[in-house]
Amino acid sequence: MIGNKITLSKLFIGVILSLLTLTMFVPIVNMFARAFSSPDRVHLLQGYEILPRGFSLIHFQVVLQNPIVSQALFNSLFITIVGTVSSIFLTTVTAYVLTRKNLVGKTPIMVFLIIIMIFEPGIIQEYMVMKDIALLDNLWAMVVYRLVNVYYLIIMMRFIEEIPESLIEAAKIDGAGHMKLFMRIVLPLARVPLMTIGMFYAVVKWNEFFKSSIFLSSKDNTVLQVMLRQFIVERDTSTLVGAAELLKNSGVAQLDFSALKAATIVIAIVPILMLYPIILKHYTGGVMEGGVKE
Amino acid sequence: MSSRLMQMWKDKMLYIMLVPAFAYFIIFHIWPIFGMKLAFYEYRIIGDNVFVGMKYFTALFNTPVFTNVLMNTLIVSAMKIVIIFPLPVIFALLLNEFRNGRFRKSIQVISYLPHFLSWVVIAGIWFEFMSPSTGIVNGIIQLFGFPAHDFLTDKSAIRWILVLSEAWRSIGWDSIIFLAAIIGISPSLYEAAYVDGANRWHIVTKIVIPHLYIPMVTIFILNIGFLMNAGLDQILNFTNDAVNSKIDIIDTYVYRIGLLNFEYSFATAASLFKSVIGVILVLSTHFISKKLTSKGAW
Repeated sequence: MIGNKITLSKLFIGVILSLLTLTMFVPIVNMFARAFSSPDRVHLLQGYEILPRGFSLIHFQVVLQNPIVSQALFNSLFITIVGTVSSIFLTTVTAYVLTRKNLVGKTPIMVFLIIIMIFEPGIIQEYMVMKDIALLDNLWAMVVYRLVNVYYLIIMMRFIEEIPESLIEAAKIDGAGHMKLFMRIVLPLARVPLMTIGMFYAVVKWNEFFKSSIFLSSKDNTVLQVMLRQFIVERDTSTLVGAAELLKNSGVAQLDFSALKAATIVIAIVPILMLYPIILKHYTGGVMEGGVKE
Repeated sequence: MSSRLMQMWKDKMLYIMLVPAFAYFIIFHIWPIFGMKLAFYEYRIIGDNVFVGMKYFTALFNTPVFTNVLMNTLIVSAMKIVIIFPLPVIFALLLNEFRNGRFRKSIQVISYLPHFLSWVVIAGIWFEFMSPSTGIVNGIIQLFGFPAHDFLTDKSAIRWILVLSEAWRSIGWDSIIFLAAIIGISPSLYEAAYVDGANRWHIVTKIVIPHLYIPMVTIFILNIGFLMNAGLDQILNFTNDAVNSKIDIIDTYVYRIGLLNFEYSFATAASLFKSVIGVILVLSTHFISKKLTSKGAW
């Protein structure tokens, strides 16, 4: 490419892009800095700083020691892990069946799926259904909520269609049934789309806050995002203040509320960051390829 | 006919494998659609619901709050669509000036990140940097000699905050599709242009931008299909009593009236109204998109 030398316009563009990206980078890293700062110096930390003032894990200790927060963290993990595994499994099984040749009734099924895709059920109706099947205030409600995404299902079908038919035929001749074919051949071969779609399900499950707040009402069933909202939006400090009391007894100086908040935010971001390499590798790659093909 | 039945019997395992997903679809997608009939009935805790026809819809349109809520939904959503729409395109064009270097990679990696944060976390971050006492934004404003301002409780600023935070979250991620389109442009086009004496600016305006028209039109049209969704999660996290009248949308209204005040029928009417408009929009944008670009939403 010819435009590889540094020109004035390129420098200018570089500065604009860097500034724009810094508005995303700095506030997020600042949360980390705040959470890891030592309690007596965290109030000195400015909003644009990205390194902690001093270093301490005390904010995390306090937040995680709080039984309500640790319960919420556990609930979020449960919903995300169990939900994602079931979502992936059901999506792939269904995609496998729908890509079988000579499947009687495929057209009406696809029409049915598209109707589902267009028509979003209302909040009240979803609530009523949860109530009718007695899943209100039960963690399983969030596991089964949005269990299969039709859009991902269709993506998965495209991937499975790419698996060479001869492979499946060969296994069939060896006497494998559909379930065995699926488990032994399709699942292992669909590893990449599985990870891609799985991580997408996981992000949605982990970040879901509104539906968790209405389906899960009791304290024991709260999830991390709902808990976070209490701290951040409603500025309800009662839970954290309890923790601060706990700390006073152990003789540590008074804690900064914003640092505790930051620690909770960090706990809510870390799982996403752990998935981030997979996201970058598979999903953005997939979007790129998809875009080019189109 | 019988051969089809034979085939079905042969494939019985396949149908059994479909059962769990379809049970899910029927319970969580079809059953709620039937539940929508509550909009035409008066909800009774004990005894049968009474059919009341269009009563709740008439009431809905005679409620000034609902008119306000409908307008808010349309305004906030339209602002987001129109203002945010060109940004990922511009972002992709700027980024395209850098070829696969470390700089380009790091800008991309960082700019995608906000897309994966929940609105609660984003609200937490934004509250911190919009804070009148310690936030960066007000720090800069004060540097230029203006007084600090609490934008989050300012009625005239809050819709812009919604637009800006949505842009902050989506610019990087939404630019992927445009970057992909740019990468798809055949290099021979560039070379031919260079031979003809074109400079970088000519290349961008005469080759790259025209190649982005189709994805731009498609995405713009598809966005209009979701006009009735102004962003429930975002608004629930950015709202407060001072600004609620400006950003109260149909979704938040349905939630408040239905689940907090237990006026199920009234709220169902509001949500059915929203769904019907939404379906009409999605279907028409699908057909328009198909006409223009031979590509629909599905």
